[in-house]
Amino acid sequence: MSISAATKAATDALAANRAPVSVNAQEVHRWLQSFTWDFEKNRTKYPTKYKMANETKEQFKLIAKEYARMESVKDERQFGSLQDVLTRVDAGNRVHPKWNETMKVVSNFLEVGEYNAIAATGMLWDSASAPEQKNGYLAQVLDEIRHTNQCGYVNYYFTKHGQDPAGHNDARRTRTIGPLWKGMKRVFSDGFISGDAVECSINLQLVGEACFTNPLIVAVTEWAAANGDEITPTVFLSIETDELRHMANGYQTVVSIANDEAASKYLNTDLNNAFWTQQKYFTPVLGMAFEYGSHFKVEPWVKTWNRWVYEDWGGIWIGRLGKYGVESPRSLRDAKKDAYWAHHDLFLIAYALWPTGFFRLTLPTAQEAEWFEANYPGWYDHYGKIYDEWRARGCEDPASGFLPLQWFMENNHQIYIDRVSQVPFCPTLSKGASTLRVHEWNGKKHSFSDEWGERQWLTEPERYECQNIWEQYEGRELSEVIAELHGVRSDGKTLIAQPHTNKDGKLWTLDDLKRIDCVFKDPLKAL
Amino acid sequence: MANKIHDNSIRDEWTQKIGALNTLAKGVEALDTFRHQYTTPFRNSYDLELDWGWIELKLEEKVALLKHKEFNDQQFLNQTAYGADAQKEADTVIAKMAATTDKYEAERIHIGFRLKFKPPIMPVNVFQDTDRILGTKLMELRNIGYYDLPLAELRKVRGVRVITG
Repeated sequence: MSISAATKAATDALAANRAPVSVNAQEVHRWLQSFTWDFEKNRTKYPTKYKMANETKEQFKLIAKEYARMESVKDERQFGSLQDVLTRVDAGNRVHPKWNETMKVVSNFLEVGEYNAIAATGMLWDSASAPEQKNGYLAQVLDEIRHTNQCGYVNYYFTKHGQDPAGHNDARRTRTIGPLWKGMKRVFSDGFISGDAVECSINLQLVGEACFTNPLIVAVTEWAAANGDEITPTVFLSIETDELRHMANGYQTVVSIANDEAASKYLNTDLNNAFWTQQKYFTPVLGMAFEYGSHFKVEPWVKTWNRWVYEDWGGIWIGRLGKYGVESPRSLRDAKKDAYWAHHDLFLIAYALWPTGFFRLTLPTAQEAEWFEANYPGWYDHYGKIYDEWRARGCEDPASGFLPLQWFMENNHQIYIDRVSQVPFCPTLSKGASTLRVHEWNGKKHSFSDEWGERQWLTEPERYECQNIWEQYEGRELSEVIAELHGVRSDGKTLIAQPHTNKDGKLWTLDDLKRIDCVFKDPLKAL
Repeated sequence: MANKIHDNSIRDEWTQKIGALNTLAKGVEALDTFRHQYTTPFRNSYDLELDWGWIELKLEEKVALLKHKEFNDQQFLNQTAYGADAQKEADTVIAKMAATTDKYEAERIHIGFRLKFKPPIMPVNVFQDTDRILGTKLMELRNIGYYDLPLAELRKVRGVRVITG
């Protein structure tokens, strides 16, 4: 037999009887399902009111090998773009300086959320008994590890290739100074990993991911691109490709408990509490980050919120879960009111507290003020005038000796911290729905800004044990606190936070703050 | 000047006190007294509000070391630091929780269990599962009829003094 004939014979034989060079992915997945153990009791390490069904399915049916192949391709594209094209076009320095500061907050905070999501999905893996469902959660654990690294990499990239790295690098060292960290940890940490395992899934997957990742991870890429940032879309859109799997996991969590009578007793309460917890922080903070942390505007936050939170999530997504007894959260209407003014209220306070941050804030320019007034009629009379006054008093210049926080004190506008959400609010200046409620219980005073949070605290007060910045630093001078808690740059005296992004502007130091002699005072003590 | 967060005179004072504890009995008594006095929403005093977490941690660390010194392996896995059978103690609390249908009583049982038995007082292998069972029941009771009471009534039941709002 000639060689060519022998080769043909061998090829024909293989075509008829293929050598088992690999195992089909779906075959492996079917094999995984055979691990269904019929537990007498589903003994998990974590408490939950619900019973997850043993035969729950999972939509993506991924196995580790297929997962790794898919993610490696995505990583190659993402890191390839960042390290080659974007570095060569000097992408880090093409970002608008205001947006550069916003990404210090967004990526550092999202990294915390992703990190806690690793633990949350590990907890769900432990709590579920269906092997398919466990497999879905396991894929999410891997995703969350990937996302934690990606968020860290965004800040690393900005630090290495961009402008003013202070705050992109090592933001965590400032975590005990300003109030933004504590509110973020309430949603991203406590909300995802404390309490009932299924309630954590509702916080993470049903609300955090299905509702807020659209504005957080998708909308942020539009704002980033509009402000010259091609780094963030490169990474965040890659993250978002995994989020669909997480939303599906949240859907399957609900499906897995749908036939349990506990679902009808507890599910809508847990969903409402999870929604209020997440929105109370994200609604004002995301709106503030987009509108006040950018120069070029995409669209008013209230429109983004209405489209993705109110209609897409509250209507369509939750509507699909209606057959399982899930109802739109009863607090959705109140949240909708917050979506109009709450982020403006928060920026007023955030700017007043600028030295406690790890980023630079900027007052709206005249052009930006016009945009605010056009999109939020009444904005100038309430907020714009105050910013004009602060600017006239030299709030950006260290030589002025003026901190906007002093203006609050001079005008008797007290800033309180909501005990449940940890979000600061000023009842005498709020144009949003916040109202002051103060209770004393067992010798301790607690302030709240809304009915939903107050009810959460009245129901389980031990969950919200903490000290806010006023309680923690009462009687201490501001520069001393910032020095102790690492809020300075590598020279040991210049603050990481600054009240402007002007590259020719002077930077504030500890000495500038010390001259002002601003002392922390807990407003609850006076009540 | 108010105290610094990390290195301060209150923590120095407690470091001295904790260093002087040289038997398990003394360590357990000190930890139990401290927890009742300064921890949980039911605490007697908020005087150590900024430092209680750090001090409790150091007390727990000391009790764990004293337990390691005085207990054999059998005791370590099965007894509370008081010397009682850990599972029997846990079973008593679980039975009490199972018998209640009142969310406020369930809250006291759960917080009371943590106050008295949080490791290293009770071995982790017994404590964790008991805590899960108690927590599950407490969450069930708290979520039933969650919105039944108007806020004004709920405030009364919780026993808060309304200062404003």
